[in-house]
Amino acid sequence: MTNTLHRQGDVESLKGDFVVFAHTAKSRNREGSGPKIREFMRICLRHNPVNIGDAKQGNVHQDDIDINKLISQQGDGAAAAAVFADMESLQKVIEDLIRADLGICINVSGLLEEVRACCVKAGIQRHSVEHSLGFWGAKDRLPERHILEIHTMCGHGMVSFNLIRKMIEQVKLRRLSAKKASKILAKCCECGAFNPKRAEQLLERFSKGIT
Amino acid sequence: MEIDKEKCVGCGNCHAVCTMGVIYLDEDGKSVVNQEECVECRTCYRVLRNEGYRPWFVRAVRKILGVFRLGYLAEPDVCPTGALTPPPLQWPRSIRATFSDPSTVHEGTGVHGRGTDEIKSNEVTGRLREGDVGFVVELGRPGIGARFRDIQKVSMALAQAQVQFEPENPVTQLMTDTKTGRIREDVLDEKVLSAIIELKTRMENIGQVLRVLEEVQHQVDTVISVGIASKCAADGSVVHESLVRQAGYKLSPNGKTNLGLGRPLFQER
Ligand code: SF4
Ligand code: SF4
Repeated sequence: MTNTLHRQGDVESLKGDFVVFAHTAKSRNREGSGPKIREFMRICLRHNPVNIGDAKQGNVHQDDIDINKLISQQGDGAAAAAVFADMESLQKVIEDLIRADLGICINVSGLLEEVRACCVKAGIQRHSVEHSLGFWGAKDRLPERHILEIHTMCGHGMVSFNLIRKMIEQVKLRRLSAKKASKILAKCCECGAFNPKRAEQLLERFSKGIT
Repeated sequence: MEIDKEKCVGCGNCHAVCTMGVIYLDEDGKSVVNQEECVECRTCYRVLRNEGYRPWFVRAVRKILGVFRLGYLAEPDVCPTGALTPPPLQWPRSIRATFSDPSTVHEGTGVHGRGTDEIKSNEVTGRLREGDVGFVVELGRPGIGARFRDIQKVSMALAQAQVQFEPENPVTQLMTDTKTGRIREDVLDEKVLSAIIELKTRMENIGQVLRVLEEVQHQVDTVISVGIASKCAADGSVVHESLVRQAGYKLSPNGKTNLGLGRPLFQER
């Protein structure tokens, strides 16, 4: 999930954007991890995630996805992720995951100091940390900053710049509500790391010309 | 991706959804994919629900509406006639899907997407130990795409900087020589949504790696997203932070945290 590393936006907006995901390593804790990943998903579900899914089966915002069926079909090593839009939920999820002691690896993408504070409050120290050093290379090929704010919520790059522009336009023209437009954007992101709640707030702002 | 011209009614919905912006309307009013630039991510096919209408029906409805000067606006997330058709892919083109479609599993690593491990399981693998630092150098992201010819320029430059490429990483597995960072010839012209060069080195080498990236970034026709990671000290502090700042670079306020809950824990001697 390098895909959750380079999320763009100001600190205020990022305060509503935390991705919790489960990971396993071959010959370490992947074998037999299916039931633990399913339990991870159930714990996340209890705390009202704004998105949840896995890279193989898709996310809860896609057509015809039944989350309970998705969970029941998750096998060893499934790349499961859930997104939370506030720190209180994140804190509770971390505490529940510590209590469940599943033995699979748990990572959180989001504001680092906030996540650290959650860990300390839950009685643990973080193990490893990864920072973004930003974008390099032919940066003149990138679109405007506000398009990137939405685009980077799916780091696999499944949410195209053009679709974001189209959704802003559709909201501006009142052909779509910001909620419906953000759901369409969330459909593109396969593994469920996209935050439709934050996207909705951003679409509202951008459609009024506030970038 | 291919578009069945018999079925396509030229509604244009797939144009906006395409991650690379490479679907366009042909002279006959039907859409077509620029095969050179398509990365086989299948986003268009996955996202646009097939409404299953017969093409003649959609065209007739449009014509009738046209008589009354009314337009036909399909929902933005449908392909009215199911014209998008993923073709079977042969090597080396199949590498495009392996790197660009996150639902594809990399054979070597068993991991979806671009197949990297970074710090995600560091507490059980011990991949980054005390004094180690990891870099993820992702070409093509955000949203531009990259050819392996450009990826090779960066991997060859980095190979000069006393780094160790992550053996399980899919880009490393395409290298013919991990000492030089050279990538196999037959994939060099292939384009992917993005690919990650993953490496580790020692903390004291951070400045050198960043200097190499600083130079080579001007030689590629795509964007690069760079990440840096390490194991925390016992009090949870991050050792690489001060070293990156000393080298003159800014760190993001957000990032990834491994909570250390995996078992069995890797024991560092
Ligand atoms: S969405 Fe389907 S019908 Fe519409 S232009 Fe694309 S391929 Fe043709
Ligand atoms: S497979 Fe991906 S790059 Fe190719 S046409 Fe579809 S969305 Fe565009």
